[in-house]
Amino acid sequence: MNDLLSMMARHGYALTFCVLLAEAIGLPFPSAIALVVAGAAVASHTLVGPTVLLTGMTALLLGDISQFWLGRYAGWALLGFLCRLSMNPETCILRSAESFYKRGKTTLLIAKFIPGINTMAAPLAGSMKMPFGQFLRLDFTGAFLYCLTYLLVGYGSRDFLANLLSGFHAAGRALEGVVIVALVVYAVYHIAQAVKYRKYDVVPRVQVQELAARLASADAINVQIADVRSHGYYDRGAERIRGSIRIEPNNLEEEIKSLPKDKDIYLYCT
Amino acid sequence: MLREKGFNTFVIVGGLTAWRKAGEPLESVPKDDLVKLPTFS
Repeated sequence: MNDLLSMMARHGYALTFCVLLAEAIGLPFPSAIALVVAGAAVASHTLVGPTVLLTGMTALLLGDISQFWLGRYAGWALLGFLCRLSMNPETCILRSAESFYKRGKTTLLIAKFIPGINTMAAPLAGSMKMPFGQFLRLDFTGAFLYCLTYLLVGYGSRDFLANLLSGFHAAGRALEGVVIVALVVYAVYHIAQAVKYRKYDVVPRVQVQELAARLASADAINVQIADVRSHGYYDRGAERIRGSIRIEPNNLEEEIKSLPKDKDIYLYCT
Repeated sequence: MLREKGFNTFVIVGGLTAWRKAGEPLESVPKDDLVKLPTFS
């Protein structure tokens, strides 16, 4: 642990850059914590404030610009991939899109402060055909606000962090505790998710060939195929299984009113 | 939830990807089912 802390002191700019770039491209890295630590390092004259600010903004802008252009050309394929990394893949795109609905372009100014939307805002802006110049202006301002805010938080809490880091041994133990707590929370979350979704395992699963054979038989009239992809995955020219109907998973209560109860319903997603 | 409401449901293993790989028939998503997101252009 001591090695890690001394490495942070030696490579503060590089670490800040790498952590912020990683989060900007969708990886689960704590950029806010990196900026707070960097802010405290500025307060203790280990790092230079304007340089850290410039480093952080450069990393965020590089990540966001690449995501913007990927979103422009890869569309929903990229957004779907990024959403798989999120806590709630089904509502990930919708939540980000709703933010654009509600707040319009200013979403880009605050997106970095909102978990989930921070990763999606740039590629979503790209897929929505936002002019690049406009995106750059808004994203630049958003990156500036984000970096400055957390650097100031770190700068202002330098005494607290200094006390925390006054002894490497104590800091090491504290960090070990944080890591253990984080691992426990992670494990509990996944166990809770497994328990929550265990009941869905009772739904029988059928192979494509089995269903295709049934559709080719006289029994086909008793079959209804339903597409339950979240509508964020739809794109112009998208395809679905022939003869299937759409069930919007986020509006299931209403959707089931029109479902036939006398047929076997075969559900599918991507 | 569908099963709780009395629907006899099944899940297609592999979803649309498996269906497509098996060479089974597809159709374009109807325009009415497309939900348009805001655009800035």
